[in-house]
Amino acid sequence: MYRKQVRRRRAVLALLIVGSFALLSVTYGQGSDGVQRGVATIFSPIQSVADRALKPARDLVNWFDETFDAKGKNARLHAELEEAREQAVGVKAALAENAQLRKLVGLDESGAIPSGYDALTARVITRSPTVWFSDVTVDVGSGDGVEVGNPVVSGDGLVGHVAAVTGGSAKVTLIADHSSAVAAKIVPNGAQGILKPSVGDPGDMILEYLDTEKIVGKGQSVVTSGWRGEGIESRYPPNLPIGKVVEAALTEQEAQHQVHVEPFADLRNLDVVQVLTGGSRE
Amino acid sequence: MILTPPILARLVATVVGGVLLQLSFFSQVALFHVSPDVLPSLVVVLGLFGGTLTGAVCGFSVGLLLDCLLIAPLGGASLVLLATGYLAGLFRERFEIHSPLVPPLLCMGLTFFAELGFGAVELMLGLNDASISTLVIRDLLLKSIFAFFLGWAIYALLRRVLRPALVEEPTARPPSRRRPSRRPLRSSRGRRPRTMGA
Repeated sequence: MYRKQVRRRRAVLALLIVGSFALLSVTYGQGSDGVQRGVATIFSPIQSVADRALKPARDLVNWFDETFDAKGKNARLHAELEEAREQAVGVKAALAENAQLRKLVGLDESGAIPSGYDALTARVITRSPTVWFSDVTVDVGSGDGVEVGNPVVSGDGLVGHVAAVTGGSAKVTLIADHSSAVAAKIVPNGAQGILKPSVGDPGDMILEYLDTEKIVGKGQSVVTSGWRGEGIESRYPPNLPIGKVVEAALTEQEAQHQVHVEPFADLRNLDVVQVLTGGSRE
Repeated sequence: MILTPPILARLVATVVGGVLLQLSFFSQVALFHVSPDVLPSLVVVLGLFGGTLTGAVCGFSVGLLLDCLLIAPLGGASLVLLATGYLAGLFRERFEIHSPLVPPLLCMGLTFFAELGFGAVELMLGLNDASISTLVIRDLLLKSIFAFFLGWAIYALLRRVLRPALVEEPTARPPSRRRPSRRPLRSSRGRRPRTMGA
């Protein structure tokens, strides 16, 4: 009797292990299949309700975390404010010039959203629990016009892209995910490279393969380069803000052709994002 | 654990509720910049109550539901969490749980194991050439420490939820025995001593 039980237990265990490997082999790199779409569609409204219901509790816990953090940031922000005030004068002049140039070339967009794209506001409803993945799920899907590959931004800058989509939800792979690589350039000097994450630390990204002839300085901004070549093009439209250079040691630039970048968007605390749909890079 | 349809329904509700709570709450809060992961602890506690089979099946189910809701490749989380549940069940079958500290300590250790397992699965699938920050270690350690406290709460909660099914847990308290009074009976006034229920 006991042996029979042990045998049955082992059989179930073996079945589960084989099943896991089989599922992994079948579904890896496929995006979303029918089962996932079905389950996601069923649970999407429940998750949405749970997300809204638990928001006050989340805010309370995050308030504690942010309060600890804010104490350290206070002094640094004062210094940055001084620097920003000095830059604001220059920015105002540049904005005026920019408006004139836009009129000249017939563009009437504000510049926040690349031309040809519509911004679809979405709420983050789930987030990957492990440190190894940086994915979030948003409450808009193919029914709202979202497609795989659509860029996703927050009020601060680039967040990621849509990796899989179901009827009412979409999985967004963040730029901090290990699979992410963003073609980026530094403004104003124009040095181009590939922005890759450092797994486990969403506040530190590495801009690699930089041109060593152009020296990059700390504090310079990084935007998407939006390149296009023969038949292929970058996933992201050009000039979406990504972050700023926080560490640009000359030795590292010359030896490894890389600098460290801090993203503008707070990738750990995303609440509302915008999916840029219908993009046409023609 | 004695599995009856009502207990099975409670287990399903626990698994679904746990995954939803993780995705809608725990994954979106941060303490010291780290989000707690409640799912390995949940699977460990279910394994401790139900043994290897229950632990493995619950771990697999939790992983599958998690992958479905995150629109991730199916099977990765299932593989890790079924191993976690199985190990917890194995502990229960091999050793006695003498101290109330054992379940939270086991949650802590197996959460660390599960988080490493998620990393291993990701390596197996190809972690590309992305660099890995040393902060990953801080993340893993803090998640494990959070799991110690979460495990405590989950163990207490699930013991109540699954009490009718637990073999070791009596469903009702045995009748308490009253100690015989040391005072001498005052028989001089002719009163009879009181007894319970008389």
